[in-house]
Amino acid sequence: MAFQKQKQQQRRTDPRLKQCPFCEHGAKYIDYKDYPAMKPYIDYFGNIRKRYYTGVCLKHQKMLKTAIERARFMAMIAYRK
Amino acid sequence: MPELVASSEDTRIYEICVLYPYPMNQKEEQTLLKEIDELFAEAGATLVLKDAWGRRGLAYPVNGATEGTFVVYYYEMDPSKLKEVDLALRIMKGVLRHMVVKPPKHYQVVKFSEAYELWLKERETMEEQKVRQKEEKVQEQVARKAKRQAKAAAERKKSTPAEQPGGVDLTQKIDELISDDSLTNL
Repeated sequence: MAFQKQKQQQRRTDPRLKQCPFCEHGAKYIDYKDYPAMKPYIDYFGNIRKRYYTGVCLKHQKMLKTAIERARFMAMIAYRK
Repeated sequence: MPELVASSEDTRIYEICVLYPYPMNQKEEQTLLKEIDELFAEAGATLVLKDAWGRRGLAYPVNGATEGTFVVYYYEMDPSKLKEVDLALRIMKGVLRHMVVKPPKHYQVVKFSEAYELWLKERETMEEQKVRQKEEKVQEQVARKAKRQAKAAAERKKSTPAEQPGGVDLTQKIDELISDDSLTNL
């Protein structure tokens, strides 16, 4: 029993339980001009981070995608580093 | 923060972002801005807001330019004339990139300079938070260390008084022994 308990404590938190950071603020639109809002969802190479790792919900991930693609077109964010 | 609302049902508000290279002659720049204004005037658009971002580094070189100036216009115009404006902007000389976006309902316009100041303030608070957390951690560690030391000191005190009575007894016994010896000697 004690061994089982220890194993349960060692287990990582379930990534599916993460809360969407945009839902917490009630964001209805993600602006392509707002770089600091998009920055945490872009990795070093300029790729959009997967939803699985950031915990963003599908609705906001789609908004993020359009915002980042717009910003990339306007040369505010690099396509590839 | 102003909220954009179209004055009539036939017109809509559009957000037009224009990028042109930074090292540009002042004359050329002025003529370009004039051309854009004229273009929108021809289309029967009314200017709601204009936000000049100013000089900015680009994420990647566009047509050999590594720095550019952004200008964001908020125009209220007829949707049917949008195509012409878009095409004209695409052809216009000196414009590197342009984009027309329809902002969503209840969109709050925040000027770049204001947003930047806000961001600076937020960043400061974030850094302050980090510093505070660090200090709290250090204080916790200090408190823990102090507790540990106090505990150790208490244990030492407990152990020493236990020894002392024994020591007293020993000395007393020795004294007695000595006294006995002296008695026997006598």
